[in-house]
Amino acid sequence: MQSLFEIAYKYRALLLSGAKTTLILSLVTTVLALIFGTILSLMKIGRIHVLRWFANAYVEFIRGTPLLVQIAIVFYGLPMIGINFPSVVIFGVDCERLVSGIFALTINSSAYVCEIVRSGIQSVDKGQMEAARSIGFTRIASMRLIVLPQAMRNIMPAIGNEFVTLIKESSQVSVIGMAELMYAADTIRGISFKPFEPLIIVAVIYFLITFPISSAIRLVEKSMRKSVG
Amino acid sequence: MDAAENEKREKTEFDPRTQPIVSVVKVSKQFKKLRVLSDVNLDIFKGEVVAIIGPSGAGKSTLLRCINQLERVSSGDVLFEGNSIVDDPKNINMTRQKIGMVFQHFNLFQNLTVRENITIGPKKLKKKSDGELQTLSENLLQRVGLSDKIDVYPWQLSGGQKQRIAIARALAMEPDVMLFDEPTSALDPEMVGEVLQVIKELVRSGMTMVIVTHEMGFAKEVSSKVAFMDAGKILAVDTPEKIFNASGNERINSFLAKVLV
Repeated sequence: MQSLFEIAYKYRALLLSGAKTTLILSLVTTVLALIFGTILSLMKIGRIHVLRWFANAYVEFIRGTPLLVQIAIVFYGLPMIGINFPSVVIFGVDCERLVSGIFALTINSSAYVCEIVRSGIQSVDKGQMEAARSIGFTRIASMRLIVLPQAMRNIMPAIGNEFVTLIKESSQVSVIGMAELMYAADTIRGISFKPFEPLIIVAVIYFLITFPISSAIRLVEKSMRKSVG
Repeated sequence: MDAAENEKREKTEFDPRTQPIVSVVKVSKQFKKLRVLSDVNLDIFKGEVVAIIGPSGAGKSTLLRCINQLERVSSGDVLFEGNSIVDDPKNINMTRQKIGMVFQHFNLFQNLTVRENITIGPKKLKKKSDGELQTLSENLLQRVGLSDKIDVYPWQLSGGQKQRIAIARALAMEPDVMLFDEPTSALDPEMVGEVLQVIKELVRSGMTMVIVTHEMGFAKEVSSKVAFMDAGKILAVDTPEKIFNASGNERINSFLAKVLV
């Protein structure tokens, strides 16, 4: 037990930097996935057949293949066909892998967010849209003014959960050499020659990050149930 | 032939004194294997209050919803103020501004206050000023007897209150016709009266109305014309006196015998 704390303290800089990168990866991805996922879901429930087909194919494929494979394709495969990622600094995290990591995670998460948004929209009573149309609003205006605001009430907690999932899933970008928390664990395992302890430490850190967020989401959900009656 | 000429050609002149404001012409509606409406014809003139009655599943609500195209017809035509509205996706939104609808389950906008429910249409679609909207909402709420509920949310209201607000919301668009789809069917009995009161006041003010209802006493009292529907067809259209007291029709009489206690 004592050695856990000792190791954690000794390599605290690496662990802190890793945790910071994990959070930035997850946060930026969640925001981007929310945008693209919403666009995808509107394509899916919209009237234009080509867009609907594309959105369906995209979601099915992404959800049907492993994240790890998608990350590898983005990082190793895309440069081979000429697509290269720039080296960018975001919030003080300088990493050439950062953009491809965010890109791969966003591509993956967007598919899941699409389903969250779609089911949130379809859970809004049909009568709301009918009433809006009966007044003379177009389909788009009805969505914007009446349906989407109500859908948000269902969607937001689910997006919160997606954020927590991303914090955990982001550990998989360690395979492309992205210096987030899991990568920090591997590094510490290498330089300390301790194979086991760093993994426990990192697991605890992941939990310390996800548990407060999950609890906060649960509280928000509870208070929403109460206020709507 | 320029655009303005085209416009004039498409819209025929409408005279409310001689032409019906709403005209349902040989309308049929098929839903998969089910014939929901069969060759329905109905004319509604300005100022009329038309009650549509009949057993459940007769197609009454479907017919009503064809008038503002919330339901599409399989064949036939629906004319509003002289113009066909069945295959006109570009203009349907403008048309719907002139047709108000009150739903069985109220359908108040849950994310908006009572005031916002009433004013959102006039604000966004008719670009009314804040002053105009203020006056509009105050007048309408007074008319339905709910002035004190102006900043309340729908979930805080009772069923009868919700329906009265729904009526106010429909009236806010200053429509030419009001459609009521079983306005009191989802209400507890003690709240039916307050809603019927509001509808009666509306009749007195001269509004053209089409009401699908099971409230026979009410239909008899306020309507100028009653249409009886069964199995997708209109069996009879006549004055309330004729339909309720002296209809020669077996089907209608047996229905009324069951319904009128």
